[in-house]
Amino acid sequence: MISDARALPDATVIQADFCLVGAGAAGISLALALSRSGCKVLLLESGGEKEEPATQALYEGHVVNPALHSPADSYRQRRFGGTTTIWGGRCVPYDPLDFEARSYVPHSGWPIGYDEIARYYPQANRLCEAGVFDYHSETAFDRPLKPMIPGFDQRHFTTDTMERFSCPTDFHVRYHDKLSGPTIQVLLHANLTRIVLSEDGNRVTGLEARTLAGNGFSVRASCFVLCTGGLETVRLLLANRDVHAQGIGNQHDVVGRYYMCHIAGTMGGVRFSIPPASIWNGYDMADEGVYCRRRLALRPEVQEREQVGSFVARLHHPRITDPRHGNGILSALYCAKPFIAYEYAKRLFEEDPASLKNWAKHLQNVALGVPDIMGFAWHMLRDRKLAARKFPSVVIKSRAGLYSVDFHAEQMPDPTSRVGLAQEKDPLGMPRISIDWRYMQQDVHTVQRSLALLKQDIAQSGVGSFEYDPQSVEKEMVRYGAYGGHHIGTVRMGASPRTSVTNSDCRVHGVANLYLAGSGVFPTSSQANPTLTIVALSLRLADHLHSRDFSGT
Amino acid sequence: MKRTVLVLGAGGYVGRKLMGALACCEDIQPTAGVRRMSSATGYESLCLDATDAGALEKHISGFDVVVNCIGSDPTVMRDSAQALLRAAQAREPLIVHFSSMAVYGSSCGLVDEQAALRGDIGAYASAKVEIERQMASYARRVILRPGCIYGPGSPAWSSRIAQLLKARRLGDLGAAGDGIANLVHVDDVAAAVIAAIRAPTCEGETFNLAMNNPPTWNDYFISFAKALGAVPVRRIGERALKIESRVVAPALKIGEMILGKLPVSVALPPFISPGLLGLLRQDITLVSEKAERELGLRWQNLEESLRVVAAFENWP
Repeated sequence: MISDARALPDATVIQADFCLVGAGAAGISLALALSRSGCKVLLLESGGEKEEPATQALYEGHVVNPALHSPADSYRQRRFGGTTTIWGGRCVPYDPLDFEARSYVPHSGWPIGYDEIARYYPQANRLCEAGVFDYHSETAFDRPLKPMIPGFDQRHFTTDTMERFSCPTDFHVRYHDKLSGPTIQVLLHANLTRIVLSEDGNRVTGLEARTLAGNGFSVRASCFVLCTGGLETVRLLLANRDVHAQGIGNQHDVVGRYYMCHIAGTMGGVRFSIPPASIWNGYDMADEGVYCRRRLALRPEVQEREQVGSFVARLHHPRITDPRHGNGILSALYCAKPFIAYEYAKRLFEEDPASLKNWAKHLQNVALGVPDIMGFAWHMLRDRKLAARKFPSVVIKSRAGLYSVDFHAEQMPDPTSRVGLAQEKDPLGMPRISIDWRYMQQDVHTVQRSLALLKQDIAQSGVGSFEYDPQSVEKEMVRYGAYGGHHIGTVRMGASPRTSVTNSDCRVHGVANLYLAGSGVFPTSSQANPTLTIVALSLRLADHLHSRDFSGT
Repeated sequence: MKRTVLVLGAGGYVGRKLMGALACCEDIQPTAGVRRMSSATGYESLCLDATDAGALEKHISGFDVVVNCIGSDPTVMRDSAQALLRAAQAREPLIVHFSSMAVYGSSCGLVDEQAALRGDIGAYASAKVEIERQMASYARRVILRPGCIYGPGSPAWSSRIAQLLKARRLGDLGAAGDGIANLVHVDDVAAAVIAAIRAPTCEGETFNLAMNNPPTWNDYFISFAKALGAVPVRRIGERALKIESRVVAPALKIGEMILGKLPVSVALPPFISPGLLGLLRQDITLVSEKAERELGLRWQNLEESLRVVAAFENWP
């Protein structure tokens, strides 16, 4: 059942077995899994069925360094479906190494191993509509694939692992029918304003929520799960200080710390000496119709030997802003910049304004590239705009064998990179967040060393050359700042409340019936985009909650 | 001594497959009841009008068992069932009657034989419910409620689907294909009939017939498409499905009616009706444990069966 909290009489009390807060990838996956037991599941969602500016504005906050981090209300959606309403759909599982304590990655090590998550990946893949759970090109395809770079010596990198792409599935639209079932109640426009704790602070007795229309209600349930993302969860825990003066789960000042995104950027130029037509930087479509893409992934044993985080690279089109690429399609995209959504424009372009000379050169590229642009426009219309499963991104094949390197790397957990509360309050009286995202020299080292190895491998393989300025690595890797809207680590799981917020079951230390779902609980970020693992971890949490008896709480 | 069995509707897909299976049984002597001799199956056949009680009474008098698998339009189904019940009064043969999972109508969740008969999804379903209620007055009956019968050449759930998959008009339907495909292989259906004939304890009983752990329709379509080689499977959105059911289907239906009046037979592509789309969304799972327990059924493996079905459908 899906209903609107604005229609509830003031001071209504709602009873449920499980109360979940936040209807995004985590909350919806969890609700679907919990509902199968016949338990009554209440799913509170702040937003409505569509984006609403007043609700979205509740996400606004303060960013300490706007050059390093996007505005607090970008890259996340406060509406039914959460950020799955705008995500790109890239699905990648974490690697076994990501779960291990690594001496060269400070504060690394999950309290659970890869196998604990791996059991849930196939079902998570299914919910994300990313096809069969097989992320190795050698086994996922029955047919032989064209090599990514023929003759490339995969000594440090492998081209076998790949990404799969969701439709991208908007969880609100996709699971709307299932969420309308009798055992789930989705309550829209319901903003959590207070987590009510018992006097001893050891359990949650209820929640209080309000709508922007002004009415309020409360919830009584046996168990509560915050599925509100890595930023909002911090706000909710820190803002509730009436029993725990430091905020819930924050006795040791851990909530909001270790904030990670991903380190990403586009570097240098690869000039291949092998025939340009032999290089494959595009997508392969699996039999089930899912777009897959191989990449250059730094091998786990190399990460350990070189003492760097995980790192992947893709062959990317030359830098769009520089018209010397001579490509009409890229210049046309540059000219279309005002029409491209912020989240994608930030990735495609740079902040530096183009000179008049460059504008003229872009326009010349467009004029000379009309046939290519028309073909590209038709492809994007047919395969992206009108297609139910969308072509994931812009892929330009270089006729000259020229590419840049697009990388995506792990960010190291750092307690000084943190999310806290600002002085300012939102219209519901909740303090806004303050984001102080930081990176470490180890992050720079990961990228520098990985790029150097890639340069070496390309050269030694005799397939071409990779030229870049090693001095500009740090500048390039922070050009996008905290990348991807991947809000990781702020309420990390671990064995001790001194260094973590939840235990290995995602339960807040010291609170018997309060759980957290989402990438906030990940202790490390991997190179992988988080959504698939968010869903897998939510399914694991559902199994755990099924096995627990909350009658004593 | 062999049991004599008359199969009404033996010219249809299930009837033909059933005749083949019955003919392999040493203790059964089957006869095909067909409307036109052109539908004769190569086995001993009787040409009869199953809606004519008088003719039917004359023909069935020598049979121990009558299997009713007439599955045409609702009026014919009703008339032939009434005729059969009247004709059977004199000698009281065992009647094995083919009903359908359609009797459960729009029900959702796990559905066993005790579930209410809603029949609220169209004329076919309501006719099946009405006939079952009439059959209830006849003691020597076994009622079978198969799900979606697939197998090599199955018009509704194999050949039609294969055509649509090859044309990329079906595929991964997203939420529109989340319903449960209560598939049952035609060989399992035939095995159920044979078991019902042989087991006197089954008289008066009703059985659901569908495989264990059925896939969703999306899974069925993707697996079948892979077996057919109709890959990559296309993702089909709600907009395309609306066009199929609201524009293409009515046009093809009208075309079918017009072409049906011509002296020559012209086949049009299959269409996706609103009723079919409704079924593909329906979260209903037939519970067939009773058939396993009392008829001793073991369901064909779907993946292996699809390979065989695909080979049949791909045969030039």
